[in-house]
Amino acid sequence: MQDSERALVPLRSELVGTPQSPDGQIDLRLLVAAAFGLAVEAQRRSLDAAGAVAGRLGWPLRVLTRPAVALARGSVAAARHHLDLDGWAARGLAEQRRAQAVAVNAVRTLIAELATAVLDEIDLDEVVAGVDLDRIVARIDLNQIAARLDLDAIVGRIDVDAIVSRVDVDAIAGRIDLDAIAGRLDLDAIVARVDLDAIVARVDIPGLTEQVIDEVDLGEIIRESSSTMASETVDALRVQGMRVDGLVSRIVDRILLRQGQRQTGPLAEDPPP
Amino acid sequence: MTRDSRYAEARALQGHRAGFASRVVADAIDLGVAWLLGLAALLAAGVVRYLLTGPPLRLPVLPNWLGAGAGGVIAVAYLALSWAATGRSVGKQVAGLRVVDGAGRRLSLWRAFCRAVLYVLFPAGLLWVLASRRNASVQDLIVRTAVVYDWAYHAADEPLPTGDGP
Repeated sequence: MQDSERALVPLRSELVGTPQSPDGQIDLRLLVAAAFGLAVEAQRRSLDAAGAVAGRLGWPLRVLTRPAVALARGSVAAARHHLDLDGWAARGLAEQRRAQAVAVNAVRTLIAELATAVLDEIDLDEVVAGVDLDRIVARIDLNQIAARLDLDAIVGRIDVDAIVSRVDVDAIAGRIDLDAIAGRLDLDAIVARVDLDAIVARVDIPGLTEQVIDEVDLGEIIRESSSTMASETVDALRVQGMRVDGLVSRIVDRILLRQGQRQTGPLAEDPPP
Repeated sequence: MTRDSRYAEARALQGHRAGFASRVVADAIDLGVAWLLGLAALLAAGVVRYLLTGPPLRLPVLPNWLGAGAGGVIAVAYLALSWAATGRSVGKQVAGLRVVDGAGRRLSLWRAFCRAVLYVLFPAGLLWVLASRRNASVQDLIVRTAVVYDWAYHAADEPLPTGDGP
């Protein structure tokens, strides 16, 4: 506590280097300056009032009062210059800023020293050992936390395309040693585990067979194929017969020296008997 | 020649009178069918005789006149029935021919029977097809029938085509 008090109150040694004057002179000059300031302020207000009155009375009065106003303002400027009021104000502000900086530094130093001393006194292991994590965890209502989470919003923020585009699938696939994986597989053991009888027992083979036969009209296929083959053969024979018929007829007609063609057209076109 | 063009050629000749070669092929097949029918009859007779008189099982040997007569009867029955029923025997079915009367209709049983008898008695009458301008055999001239190309199927109650095409 003594250290903190020392940090808050600047010591005489810390004020060494700042301009110092006897206390009596500072007070006297300040009193004089304050009195003069009051007088100047009163003068300024009276001038403002006079200006307002002059503004109301019109421009002739304003012209008449202008030299007096200028004289008063000149006296104010002269007073400020001779008494160095601006210099004193600047010194006061600088002193105020320096005192603030000293106070901030002192507080910071105090906090650092205090924290170090506290930490030195505390045995963290003992503190941690005293914490009942189970009780803390038991108090946490994970369901409530989860209920508060807006998973849709979270998922909506995730740019899956960007993630996927970063994944180098080829590189991943290249790292996988499929031969080694395949070599580890014991296919015999896998096959031995499969109960083929049970699978076959589950399959409705008669039903499937009936479905297949229903879908595939084997009889129709056989009929079509056989009839197609037979009809093609017969058609070829019939066409050949037609050609030979025509050839034979032409040969005979030529032998018989016939003119014109035979009347073998459709029966309806036959000439009436 | 493609199948389509071949069919186009055949389609154009449907309903036309058939020539000598087709009819010879059809009649040769019919002769074979008649022979098979006679053989089947002989086999049936042999089996019946085996059942009645006991072994041995053998084909009965007929005298020539009986064999010729029975063969003729079988052939006449086969041809007459097939021509009257559908207008086509097995041979004409294979050759794509049909026997019709002068108006293009199916033969009556009587006319089919007469035609069959004439063919069995005088098969050489078929040779007249070579000389006839209408591709008619002697039997066709006598019973006023004709043999035409007709590949299509016709139901029993459907009139036969008399013009071009089905």
